[in-house]
Amino acid sequence: MAAEDATSRDTGAHAFEEIDWDRIDARGGRSVDGWAITEAAILVGLLAGFVYDYSAGTPTELIGLDPTAVEWLFSIVLVLGTFHVAVPLAENPRLTARYWRTFRKNRVAVGSLGFLLSILALGVVGPMIWVPPNETIDFATAYRPPVFAGGSWAHALGTDAQGRHLWHLIVYGMRVSMEVGLVSTAIAISIGTVVGATAAHVGGYVDEGLMRYVDLQQTFPVFVLLLFLVYLFGPSLLFIVVLYGFFGWEGIGRLVRSETLQRTEAVYVRAAEAAGAGRWWIVRRHLIPNVSGTVITAATLAIPTFILGEAALAFLGFSDPAVFSWGRTIAAGRSDLASAPWISTIPGVFLFLTVLAFNFVGDALRDAMDPR
Amino acid sequence: MTDPLLRVDGLTTHFHTDEGTVRAVDGVSFDVAAGETVAIVGESGSGKTVAAESITRLVDTPPGEIVDGRVTFGGRDLTTLSDRELEGVRGAEIAHVFQNPQDTLNPVYRVGTQIAEVLRIHGGVSRAEARRRAVTMLDRVGIPDPASRVDDYPHELSGGMKQRVVLAMALVAEPDLLIADEPTTALDVTVQAGILDLLAELQEDLGMGVLFVTHDLGVVAQVADRVVVLYAGKVMERGDVHEIFESPAHPYTRALLQCLPGRGERGGSIGGELPDPNDPPPGCRFAPRCPYAVDDCRAGGQPAAHPVDGDRTHVASCVFHGPGQDRSRLEAPVDWTGGQRARSQSEDADG
Repeated sequence: MAAEDATSRDTGAHAFEEIDWDRIDARGGRSVDGWAITEAAILVGLLAGFVYDYSAGTPTELIGLDPTAVEWLFSIVLVLGTFHVAVPLAENPRLTARYWRTFRKNRVAVGSLGFLLSILALGVVGPMIWVPPNETIDFATAYRPPVFAGGSWAHALGTDAQGRHLWHLIVYGMRVSMEVGLVSTAIAISIGTVVGATAAHVGGYVDEGLMRYVDLQQTFPVFVLLLFLVYLFGPSLLFIVVLYGFFGWEGIGRLVRSETLQRTEAVYVRAAEAAGAGRWWIVRRHLIPNVSGTVITAATLAIPTFILGEAALAFLGFSDPAVFSWGRTIAAGRSDLASAPWISTIPGVFLFLTVLAFNFVGDALRDAMDPR
Repeated sequence: MTDPLLRVDGLTTHFHTDEGTVRAVDGVSFDVAAGETVAIVGESGSGKTVAAESITRLVDTPPGEIVDGRVTFGGRDLTTLSDRELEGVRGAEIAHVFQNPQDTLNPVYRVGTQIAEVLRIHGGVSRAEARRRAVTMLDRVGIPDPASRVDDYPHELSGGMKQRVVLAMALVAEPDLLIADEPTTALDVTVQAGILDLLAELQEDLGMGVLFVTHDLGVVAQVADRVVVLYAGKVMERGDVHEIFESPAHPYTRALLQCLPGRGERGGSIGGELPDPNDPPPGCRFAPRCPYAVDDCRAGGQPAAHPVDGDRTHVASCVFHGPGQDRSRLEAPVDWTGGQRARSQSEDADG
């Protein structure tokens, strides 16, 4: 009886509430389109710049900068990241708060996230502040120890055999590591998501074919292919970044496929079907958004493997001499390990901490976004 | 008589499994008129959900297959429409509400977005307009402060609120027919009553037909105008809700009613279990559990739908209601829980 009374108050004798339509319209719709247009405009601008840069034969200087191909890709990835990660998080403060509450519990991960964000920020703006390491060559100040080992603040992290400031090498190395990690991962996520979702949703022979190809690719030695290409065409960071991306997506592809298959059984997918949604609407609007948490987690854990792979190639000497990779600095310091251990150690510590931090953040993200 | 809103005729849905063909729905016929509520009742595994989902071909194919039958809706046979045409019917003309509101809402979207989705799918509505209609709909389903609730995520709502949102999702496009598959089973009783009242109210407002799938006879008594009793993929009895409850004609319907607390002497269970869906028994599907069953019941196919007392709207698929049969035998008191034993006793009495 009580329940019925409550109901009639709720619905039966229910007077329609005054609704502030202006408020609703102000909050709905507009922002999404606005952001999409801004994003498209920036991307078109970047593409135009890229085409201009490379159509003139020799790369031309733009407003005092001379970006490389990898740097163009890096900026595109940063723009995509801003609009597809940062903007949605800012637009959905309550959802963000919910993730953050779980993420925050992992103190180490919060610290790691801070560390990675500073590395990213330094990697992006650092090279605009500090001159390239080769411009600091000064044999008079070679082998200066870092400040915590009795050195001076003039060379806070010490200098290497050519008197280059280690700090400059580290900062330029941050950009290289971030470029490799983020661009390769962006390529891998895109291919992996498309292949995984297609395999899961189309099924049958397409699924079979794609997954057998994934098996094949997993056994394929990318490292050896890279060595071969470096031998043929000379060292290039672009090769490394693109090849890692194109041959590093199989894990994400598999994951997206299995997650999509699981989500296909979800009631909300049936509900969307019952509402008249077509196959691709369901994939785009329901399946991919729901696997994105898992994908972001997997991607965070994939980034360090790409960074380590690049560092390993550079350590072996297969890197562009104009690229100041941490791996190369570590390798260069090997011969002086006994007399000047900081030359190898400091970039080594940065590499180690970066890889570790990505792993911590990935674990915490999994707890926050994919609690199973 | 004018054409009903929905006419299902001889619908047959099979599932092809490794163990053989499961005849989940086997020649089911019923109809739903505009503005009325028809309840499909049956126990778990009777095929009621498959029957409901076969109407708009939501059954996964494979393994499912709609083998036979016609589903006439708005002058078209839905079983022969192309996938694209069917997508135009789903949501816009025939909406579905599923059992578990918890899972029907996509966790990553705000409820307003999800209610507006069906309008966006079928096109012709701007984002802002869809959003306005979502807010209006939330208000209609009795969500307080719809203007701010529209931006809530599903995890921020209670179970009852979620089911109201699910109803709003189904009804925002103002469909002609709503198929509600156990819409209140996952809710507690007080919330359930509220949802059923709301559904009745919205049905009256929108003038839509409702096909209500449930195992709960208490709910049937509350919502239905007419009832279809399903057992093992076959219609056992069909009729007006008063006839079904006051003068049930089929032994299975009587057995179901006996199971209701407060009805019959015992309120017990029915002896035996559902027949193997891969290999149903010959004759009436209920015969192995039926205390009245005679040899005729166990031969041939499911008996035809015989009118009860010459009433064409009340039919029972039982040999005792066939022409020239003695219906009084169904009046004999029997032990429902006994199954086989009770049946042989009643045969002895006959002999």
